[in-house]
Amino acid sequence: MMEQKHIVSGFDRDLEGIQALIMKMGGMVETEISLAAKSLELRDEELARSVVQSDRQVDNLEEQVDEEAARLLALRSPTAGDLRTVLTVMKIAANLERVGDYSKNMAKRTSILVEMQPVSGAASALRRQARAVELMLRDALDAYIQRDADLAQDVRERDREVDQMYNSLFREFLTHMMEDPRNITACMHLHFIAKNIERMGDHVTSIAEEVIYLVTGARPEDDRPKGDKTSTTPYDPGGEDD
Amino acid sequence: MNDMTRLERKVDQKTIKISARDVQVFYGETHAIKDVSVDILDNTVTAFIGPSGCGKSTFLRCLNRMNDTIDICRVEGKIEMDGADIYAKRVDPVQLRAQVGMVFQKPNPFPKSIYDNVAYGPRIHGLASNKAELDEIVEKALRRGAIWDEVKDRLDEPGTGLSGGQQQRLCIARAVATAPEVLLMDEPCSALDPIATAQVEELIDELRRDYSVVIVTHSMQQAARVSQKTAFFHLGNLVEYGDTGDIFTNPEDPRTESYITGRIG
Repeated sequence: MMEQKHIVSGFDRDLEGIQALIMKMGGMVETEISLAAKSLELRDEELARSVVQSDRQVDNLEEQVDEEAARLLALRSPTAGDLRTVLTVMKIAANLERVGDYSKNMAKRTSILVEMQPVSGAASALRRQARAVELMLRDALDAYIQRDADLAQDVRERDREVDQMYNSLFREFLTHMMEDPRNITACMHLHFIAKNIERMGDHVTSIAEEVIYLVTGARPEDDRPKGDKTSTTPYDPGGEDD
Repeated sequence: MNDMTRLERKVDQKTIKISARDVQVFYGETHAIKDVSVDILDNTVTAFIGPSGCGKSTFLRCLNRMNDTIDICRVEGKIEMDGADIYAKRVDPVQLRAQVGMVFQKPNPFPKSIYDNVAYGPRIHGLASNKAELDEIVEKALRRGAIWDEVKDRLDEPGTGLSGGQQQRLCIARAVATAPEVLLMDEPCSALDPIATAQVEELIDELRRDYSVVIVTHSMQQAARVSQKTAFFHLGNLVEYGDTGDIFTNPEDPRTESYITGRIG
């Protein structure tokens, strides 16, 4: 955004440092999503456990970002674009931490799900949904580093696709449960995973909105595109996808 | 609580006190101020910021014709206070400076008693008809200057014997004693410690109720703390003028951003 360097070069180092932390954290969360979904599809308990383990590092990074941001605010009194950088870094870190939590939760449920009869097609559909979120996150982080508000807006709009994937999974799991009550436990877990991935998409959308604020100084005024209609639509097993 | 602070900061008076149009200032051959047009609002603290030599002090001094005292200085364009041209022939600059008071970078009390420092202006402008009236004016001004409690028992002592912060508040009291409408402050806190600075800043905020205050400051943080409007000067141009909150979070001009974030001097 700002090509020019600060007169006080330590200020540049601090800002670059805190942004490097965010990118590191973002990269770890991307991997976490990907590996959690992979462990679910491959029913790989070992991999799932490693995801649960690695989430602690993401939490530590968030603390580090907060500390650095507090220090920067206290010592450098940033203004304008610098101020927005620090503010958005804190919010992005908080959102990344949540996405990491949801990934960890997915991995934990994987450990339970491997004990059960697989529900046909569910794991691969969830992996596709997770992949969509992972790509959104990658682009949101790219948009952050490139200060690209258009790319961020694109990410924001793609959240609707993730919501729609959740809608159809919601129906699918209901159908499975009605067909055979022995599927209920597994489907409940799978449903939570689908819902959590949908929530991840919302957090990535928030990150994209932070990028828009960082670049333009204003938050997007229109409502966030929403596609999750399961909370307002009565269930109709014969209904078609919208 | 958030709403309160926002409301407080909001410019609640939209009356234009001073209106400058296409102002040019030359020092001999040097073109120091280029085409500056700005409206200074009443009951508002307006901060002029910018790097050294950007013209902010020069422009400030145009507002009470302090530049008249410099032979090679030439001012063009129009500056009006309440709609009246302050550079009109019939305007007496001494009278104007009573209406548009000024406080300088270094506290400069007269080598006189505290009382006489404040009474000086009202005396030469004939604002008091007897001693009792003058006493009242002096007390009121010292209270305005937020220094009354500290000096009320030693009004006869020399003003130069006060601490730097007290001297500066004495100078502010001296400036308000002539019942001005506008107060110009040129780096009023640069020679003060942080406590005295905070006291003067608090005072500036109180003065805003009665006056239009214009402050030149090198401290961006001070501009952010005390002002509702900020004007950024660069190389003699007025680059950006707007609400202080906007200037410091989302300035429009890249030069403003570079300056307030510490990228150009």
